Amino acid sequence: MEGKVIVVTSGKGGVGKTTVTASIGAALAMQGKRVAVVDMDIGLRNLDVVMGLENRVVFNIVDIIKGKCKLKQAAIKDRRIENLFLIPASQSDDKNAIKPENMVWLANKMRKEYDVTLLDCPAGIEQGFKNSIVAADEAVVVCTPEVSAVRDADRIIGLLYAQSITPKLIVNRIVPKMVENGDMLSHEDVVEVLSIDLIGLIEMDDRVVVSTNTGTPLVLQNDSKAGKALTRIAMRLDGHPDLAIENPMAQKGFWKKIGLKLSRKN
Amino acid sequence: MKFNELLKKLMNKTDSRDIAKKRLKFALLTDKLEVKTDTLGNLQKDLVEVISRYFVIETESIKIDIQRSEKSSALIFNTPILSATNQRGLPSA
Repeated sequence: MEGKVIVVTSGKGGVGKTTVTASIGAALAMQGKRVAVVDMDIGLRNLDVVMGLENRVVFNIVDIIKGKCKLKQAAIKDRRIENLFLIPASQSDDKNAIKPENMVWLANKMRKEYDVTLLDCPAGIEQGFKNSIVAADEAVVVCTPEVSAVRDADRIIGLLYAQSITPKLIVNRIVPKMVENGDMLSHEDVVEVLSIDLIGLIEMDDRVVVSTNTGTPLVLQNDSKAGKALTRIAMRLDGHPDLAIENPMAQKGFWKKIGLKLSRKN
Repeated sequence: MKFNELLKKLMNKTDSRDIAKKRLKFALLTDKLEVKTDTLGNLQKDLVEVISRYFVIETESIKIDIQRSEKSSALIFNTPILSATNQRGLPSA
């Protein structure tokens, strides 16, 4: 059976695409799938550092397309998680080094080799975005509860529909206490404005920064709320579409907060 | 929480969350009405072609524009007519 290609996109930069891609990839691999994550941001490579694989980059996606190496040679195998591979972006090439038809060719090769291929799309709607969506079977749109991110997400959703892709939405960096106080858009607000289906809600989580600092997969940290939410998103993406979406809630009360602090330490 | 809500109502304070939602809805609506610069030009060319079949118009002084207001948007096309195209001499087949 052929695998599928899923693009993770957002329009706006800095909403968590790369973290989401790395984490979903890791979670899917841990669930037994053969997974490749591809950094589509030519010239601004980042997925490798987030995954802690930056020292092992030899070949990159542009090398594969130019025929300088085989797909398997460029795919870096993660040593902590079995069946997880990274195809890094090129840091020196121009954004236009890859054309849409090259990506269609590569995606076909990837479908044969991996169960799931995740494309970490660059911000914006230029060449890198076009290359990413032309090759994708499915799409996940990442959005934070901010006016700017939601507006860009709307534009992206429109462009995906034009490619006959119906995307699913992740609302990232929710601060439940702010939502409760009326100081932040709730995920219901975001869904109402964008009118697309949700696939997951991720709470603001300090552990994400720590995980990126060290280059360790977020889903391996069992005290991370975001990591847990991402594991569940990975399950929904592959085989468990009806798994309930947990709504992040504000921790109430002094004792619960103490309890959380204690459980973190263990 | 209930008490806080009551307090906010009494102080007549709107949540920034609601303001954000309203602004977003309006922005998305106007975003969708925005057209590429050549779209209006192409439309003008097509319109002139069609109208010229029926009227002699002055192509130089044609104005085409989209007018937006808070509640609705309209496409405004303004052209002076010089005369009707003379079709009397052409009996229909």
